[in-house]
Order: sequence, then structure tokens, then C-alpha cells
Amino acid sequence: MSYKPSEQDLMAYLYGELEDDKREKLEQYLLENPTARLELERMNGLRRMLAQVEDKEVIAPPIFVGEHPSQRFWQAPYMKTIMGIAASLLVVILVAKLSGLNIRYQQQELRISFGDVPKVKTESSVTQPTVASLTPEQVQDMINNSLQQNNATLQASLDETQKKLNASINQSLALNSGKIDKLVQQASTASEAQVREFVASMQTENAKMVKSYFQLSANEQKQYVEGLLVDFAKYLQQQRNDDLQVVRTQINSLQQNNDVFRKETEQILTSIISKVNTRSSVGMAN
Amino acid sequence: MTETLLDIAMMHSDTLLARAKEGDQAAQGKLVQLWYKRIYNFGYKFFMDHDMAMEVSQKTFISMCRSLPSLQDNARFKSWLYKIAVNYCREEARKRKGNRSLSFDVVWNREAEDSPAWETSSQRFDNPERQLQQAELSDVLQQALHELNVEQREVVIMKEYEGLKFREIAEVLNISENTVKSRMYYGLDGLRKILERKNINKDTIGYEL
Repeated sequence: MSYKPSEQDLMAYLYGELEDDKREKLEQYLLENPTARLELERMNGLRRMLAQVEDKEVIAPPIFVGEHPSQRFWQAPYMKTIMGIAASLLVVILVAKLSGLNIRYQQQELRISFGDVPKVKTESSVTQPTVASLTPEQVQDMINNSLQQNNATLQASLDETQKKLNASINQSLALNSGKIDKLVQQASTASEAQVREFVASMQTENAKMVKSYFQLSANEQKQYVEGLLVDFAKYLQQQRNDDLQVVRTQINSLQQNNDVFRKETEQILTSIISKVNTRSSVGMAN
Repeated sequence: MTETLLDIAMMHSDTLLARAKEGDQAAQGKLVQLWYKRIYNFGYKFFMDHDMAMEVSQKTFISMCRSLPSLQDNARFKSWLYKIAVNYCREEARKRKGNRSLSFDVVWNREAEDSPAWETSSQRFDNPERQLQQAELSDVLQQALHELNVEQREVVIMKEYEGLKFREIAEVLNISENTVKSRMYYGLDGLRKILERKNINKDTIGYEL
């Protein structure tokens, strides 16, 4: 009886979201504990009652989201303040213009005045004479002189440096062209001799190769032809021997036949002779 | 019944969500159609007021469409959406408290104490008597719900009517799951006490539950 389910576990159980092991424990507890069972039953009853509340039908109104970004820029909230500041500035400028306000900062003093600007010529007329010991023409001359001097020295130094540059360029050009000429000459002569040598060696090599090839092939042909001739002679000899044998055997057989024939004729002749002899003897006897 | 149908629709809403995120207006519109009823009903139960519910829903969906691209986990869409809705509900509730000297709860409850609510019964005519009874009960229950404090009310509505898991509610309200369960427990307990005070139980409401 030590186990007592927490409110959280009860809720999880009520909505079927309690893990398996905890659920078994809780169900066991409910079996043994009728008051807890009753409480759960009451909660279930309440849930059933709450389920009587039905959803309200509602039709979703169209929702436009695209409106916001296309909002005119002067409708933006900060535009109001900006426009306010601009308008007040404009008013200030207008008032200043109408009232002829004049503000100037000159010679370390700030002047604010309305209406026409007072001429401050008096001060400038005081300061001018002290400086005017030199006339403008003199100043102009001085300036011109110094400018001319400056130009002359500049021109001189420029000329000098240009000359130096030209000289050095010429020198290096001459040097480089000489080197390049040499190099080219070397390269051309060397290459001609080499090419000649190379071609000659190639030719001799080729000639050698062709020669040896022809020699080799001629020898082989000779051998082959010789062999062929020998073979043919042998073959002819063989053929003649064979023919001779055939002729000989045929002659032999002819001779044999002849002999047999002669013997037969001899026999026949003898027999005939004997017959004739007997007959004649008989006839004579008769 | 509608709950399960809706759930099925939600299953297929993944591609819809993806398209809506990319700024597809049609997909966003569909998403709104799909969820409007839920958010409206949440708002309605929260405020017991049609206009407020409409306002909160519209604000919620405008905000949803705007900040959809920032939603990282599509699986969390539901709790994300309710989070927006809850925030707008709280904001509206705060505004209203500032604007009016009398809390809506107090006014409503005083009325509810002695007179039944006659309005807003849905117009279906298959058994008018029962329909009326149900409408009355529904109203009484919603009033009781409205008497709970905001924290418990939110949790009870989301759990009982919106079918969110405790984990999801915790995500919506940015509190621990155990806190959600506690609030639910005390919310149900409070509801029972309120209904007992109103003398509403199985016997008095006159039909089987």
C-alpha cells in the first residue's frame, strides 16, 4: 500500500498517456483502492459530460496576407515623425527667408542679423594698406620669375634624364642584338651540320638494312629453290623406278603367259600329232 | 467524429504544409480552411464570445501565414499553431481587462447564477426538446469552463476539446508536462465543484450520459 499515484499519473492514466509499467501499478492500486476508483469514475463522468459541448460551425473568412508588404511607405509609423520634422524645418526656413535672417561666421565672430547685411568694408580698408607695400604687378612679376626659373630647371633635369635613358636603352639594345645574332648564327650552323650528319647516317643505315634484307631473302629463296629442285629430281627418279618396275613385271607376266601358251600349244600339237599318228596307223591297218 | 476526420486530413497535410511554407497562397488558404474551425472553437471556449473568437482566429491565421517559413519542424505545426492562438487569446484577455472596469467573467457569472442562457441554440429540428436541453447543458458547461482561471481553462480546452497530448500542451505553453497534468487535475476538480454548485449532475440533466 506504499504506492500512491500522483495527480499527474492519474491524469495521464485518464487520458491514456501513461507508460505501460506505471499503468499496471496504477491499475493494481485502483483494484485495491475503491475510493480512488470512485474518484477516477467521477472524473470520467465529468469528461463524458464535457463531451456534450459540440463544436460551433464556422466558415473561415478569406484571409489576405499579401496586403501588408504592399503598404504605402508613407503609411509606415515612422513616416509621421519624419514628415513632422521635415515640415517644421520647412517652416523655419520660410520664416528665416521672409524675415531676411542672416547668419555669418567671419573673422572669429558670429553675426546674426535680420534685414539687409551691413557692409563690413571699414575693417577691410583698415587692414589693406599695411599689407599693400607690394603692388600686384610686382607680385605677379615675382611669381612669373620664380615660375620661369622653376620651369627651366625642370626642363634641364628632364632633358638630362631623357638623354641618359636613351643612351642606356641604345647600349642595352646593341648588346642584346649582338648576343641574339650570335646565338642565331650558332644555332643555324650547328643545326645544318647536324641535319646533314643525321640524314647521312639514316641513309647508310637504311641501305645496310635493305642490303641485308635482300641478301637474306635471296639466300632463303635459293635454298628453297634448290630444295625444291632436289625434291623434284628425287620424285622423278622414284617415278621412273616405279614405272620401270611396272614395265618389268608386265614383261615378266607377258613372258610367263607366252611360256604357258607355248607349252599349251606344244601339248596340243603333240596331242594332235599323236592322234594323227594313231589314226594313220589305224587307217593303214584298215 | 469530426475529430478523427480532421486527424486524417492532418495526416495528408504534410505536403500542404510544405507548399504553404514556400508561399503558395492556395495551400495557405487550404491550411486556414482546415484549421479555422479548431482555432475558432478554441477561442470561443476561451472567451465564450463569437466576436472575440473570430478576431483571435483571424489574427492567429494571419500570423500563421506570415511566420510559416520560420516553422522548422513540420511535426510541431499543431502545437506551434495553438501557441500563436493562445498568445493572442491572452493578449486579448489582457486588453479587455484594461479596457473594461468589470471583468467579463464576473458579469457573465452573475447572469449565469440565476438565469439559464436562452440564446445560441443551434437550429436543428429533430427532437427540439432534447436539442434545447443539449444547448442548455452545453452553455452551462461552457460557463463553468469559463469560471476556471485562465491557466486551467487553456489546459482543459486543449486537452478535452482540441485533443492535444500533454506533451504538446507543454510545448504550447512552454511549461513542464507535469505542470500541465497538475493544471488539468485541478481544472477538472474545479469544474466538478462549479457544476456541483450549479447543482448539475447526472440526475438533474435528465438524460443518459
